[in-house]
Amino acid sequence: MASRKKVLLKVIILGDSGVGKTSLMNQYVAKKFSNQYKATIGADFLTKEVMVDDRLVTMQIWDTAGQERFQSLGVAFYRGADGCVLVFDVTMPNTFRSLDSWRDEFLIQASPRDPENFPFVVIGNKVDLENRGVSGRRAQGWCHTKGDIPYFETSAKEAINVEQAFQAVAKNAMAQETDVELCSEFPDPIKLSGDNNKPQGNNCPC
Amino acid sequence: MAFQNQVLFAKDSVYVHINVQDTKDKDAHIAGRVFFLNKPEGYFVEWKAEDVLNLETTSEEWDVINYKNDRDGDSVSMNAKMDARRKYNISFDILDLKSFKRSAPNHGWAYIIFILKDGTTFPALHFHNGGSKALLKELENFIYIRRSPNDPRLFLVKDHDPEQLSQSINELSLFTDSSGAYVQNFVNDSKHGLSKKFIKSPYTTTLGGFSKVTNFLRDVLMTPENNQHLTRPQSEVAELLHDDIPGMEISQLDEPGFEMITKTKLPARPAVKRGDPLSSPQWNAFFDAEGKISKVEDLKDIIFRGGVDPAIRAEVWKFLLGFYDWDSCSKKRTDQRKRKVDEYFRMKLQWKTISAEQEKRFSLLKERRGLIDKDVMRTDRTHKFFAGDKNPNLQVLYDILMTYCMYNFDLGYVQGMSDILSPILVVMENEVDAFWCFAGAMERVCHNFEMDQNGMKVQLSQIHKLMQIQDPELCAYLEAHDSGNFYFCFRWILIVFKREFHFHEIQRLWEVIWTDRPCSNFHLIISLAILESEKSTLLENKFGFTEILKHINDISLSIPLEETLRKAEGIFLQLRDYKKLPVSLKEILGLHPPAHLPASQSMENSVFLGSASNSAPPPQPVDCPTLVAAAPTKGVSRSASGGDLARGAGGAACSANVARSVGMSARYGGGARQNNGAGGGGSNSGATDDVQKVFT
Repeated sequence: MASRKKVLLKVIILGDSGVGKTSLMNQYVAKKFSNQYKATIGADFLTKEVMVDDRLVTMQIWDTAGQERFQSLGVAFYRGADGCVLVFDVTMPNTFRSLDSWRDEFLIQASPRDPENFPFVVIGNKVDLENRGVSGRRAQGWCHTKGDIPYFETSAKEAINVEQAFQAVAKNAMAQETDVELCSEFPDPIKLSGDNNKPQGNNCPC
Repeated sequence: MAFQNQVLFAKDSVYVHINVQDTKDKDAHIAGRVFFLNKPEGYFVEWKAEDVLNLETTSEEWDVINYKNDRDGDSVSMNAKMDARRKYNISFDILDLKSFKRSAPNHGWAYIIFILKDGTTFPALHFHNGGSKALLKELENFIYIRRSPNDPRLFLVKDHDPEQLSQSINELSLFTDSSGAYVQNFVNDSKHGLSKKFIKSPYTTTLGGFSKVTNFLRDVLMTPENNQHLTRPQSEVAELLHDDIPGMEISQLDEPGFEMITKTKLPARPAVKRGDPLSSPQWNAFFDAEGKISKVEDLKDIIFRGGVDPAIRAEVWKFLLGFYDWDSCSKKRTDQRKRKVDEYFRMKLQWKTISAEQEKRFSLLKERRGLIDKDVMRTDRTHKFFAGDKNPNLQVLYDILMTYCMYNFDLGYVQGMSDILSPILVVMENEVDAFWCFAGAMERVCHNFEMDQNGMKVQLSQIHKLMQIQDPELCAYLEAHDSGNFYFCFRWILIVFKREFHFHEIQRLWEVIWTDRPCSNFHLIISLAILESEKSTLLENKFGFTEILKHINDISLSIPLEETLRKAEGIFLQLRDYKKLPVSLKEILGLHPPAHLPASQSMENSVFLGSASNSAPPPQPVDCPTLVAAAPTKGVSRSASGGDLARGAGGAACSANVARSVGMSARYGGGARQNNGAGGGGSNSGATDDVQKVFT
């Protein structure tokens, strides 16, 4: 049995109401889709264990309400986020235009240590629909200006590209976690007594 | 496939109850099978609906089990049904299991509720054909279970190294011999014999060979009775804590070495009885010759105590929600209704006649239309009334919400409103009636939806304040685990528990709340009651911020309504009779006498009170600055951005609102005054027999 410590990655999904945040989360974690998910009220999360670069990682994916006024409370859930998925609906240009404020608001509220390099991923969802309103090029362009955020076009309904998008945010979040990761590289000692035998790592921040 | 799932245990006739009371609904109970499986990735407990299993017989994951495929799905409705079925599928690694709750011994079908380390809480699995003990016994071979000392129904799983542990247990043969025994016997044993033996000589022959697990066993076996030698002397602890924490005292509870911090100052909780719903004959008997309700307060008492028979709900709700005035006669109601019909269609026409061209230059309306569009499509679609594609009731839902935007343009549409409307529309089955009743219901909760969310913040902090007195221990725990903001109650408050109860239950709960009995803000006390029921689970699982939130989200649809209402009223009575209840809490509950406003008539003149709505704190604005911020009047000036039309339509609607809500406030204010009289413990002279009757 592996005694390596599990890594927990907290990922927040943000985006306007109805772009498919809950659907993406459920498609990724439970591989199911329903067009009857109720509007999210408050916040909820699901966890999924994934392998990222040979490491077992527990992803805790947070789904929040999309309407603007609920964000003032939503920020309580941003704390400690390791990654953020920004979602828009490719058929609704206004949801794409909101990405700026979602990103800015997140960076202000979560105040990550290194905002320039914080692991974002942008998802253009609902590519299964025909009435496309935001071109891939336009979305790519925006991502480019924000420090080359990875961009994925997905369909939570058809399970297209969902896995890849979340895998990307997990991978990038892990890359940021290298400092913290060091101490986990040491296998846990078997505790024979009640003493707290912490791993004797150098400069270990934990 | 290299590895096949090994079935260690399987049991059929294990049900998930999705609709507890509606026995006529054949889909109320989903039949399924529970499995305990040895999979390549670990040991898993799984439950799947029979229907789903039948469809999945070919899937590789399940190829060891063969079920007869005796039922075929029929088209679209079948798909929707299967979606609902899959929703309840349960599967978890037993290493993720944190605890579970069992049904009370005298509870009809035994059930188990599994709770995972991340707070995930599965729906109760009801074992209609037995097998719950057998499953737990099976699990016991792999995990260590102990019963909570504080909640006999709660069982905690001890963290461990599974291989080491199963080995140790097998060698110790603690459980294998006891026929039919499971956890309970083990715990009983440990109290009397086994654990004492272990604790007294933990390193002797019994455990000599298992030094690795000694600490672990000691943890597991140490029920509070056994650990006295590890704790400080009682007197010393009491001395250390005494007076440091106001409102708290150490009580010894006759159990040596077991200290419990309790709030001893609240009076004992009285037993509370619920009653029968208001029946149709009862209801008719309340009307006099002119069709006027004779004893409104008595009527409300009955509704508070037992709700309303669904057959007369539509009529009764029209009074509860201000569609009709309580003191109206039949003739006046006919006029009222006629006026409201005209008024409704006038407002409906306003948005209906905005052309697509116009709307291009009216982004606010367009935005709201978009939101309503999306939410209508996903509001209670599993309920018969809204199920199916192209269900005409969806259009009614949409039209009412759009018209509400015209009625209250400043507020517009905010997510959650469709949840408030849906049960009302189902009861009314009429667009105009549903609209006005919805508007009346919104009057009570509109401050929840305001832009700055101040109404929500105020209420969450009020729960906090109440809990500080009602359950300081739980309160301190939540504070210490980043949950003192009570954000995990957000959904409860925003839509008044709509998502937490089954449909028929939410109708019952709401009509109880709408009586404004036994106090104002009773919904906050209901929150306290639910949290009290979950206290052991939260504390003993040592849940933190995320787990608390997850658990509270997941107990949705499994909260027993009547029990919760009894508990909530009991808590209210305790608080009411507590002589040292702080003034700020009295204000929250409406127990403070409005000294400067002696008669209900004066309250009717106060627009301020009326607009603060019924669930906002009652009089004494001086001491309650938050109230001012929560009042919708402030929101009006701030968020008005819809131009002249907005002002015209919204303004007119608002004044009508205020008038009606003032009427409601006045009645509730009178009730609050009485409550206080009864609750003053003799110090106030206002106690009347009339009032006592309400609470006994």
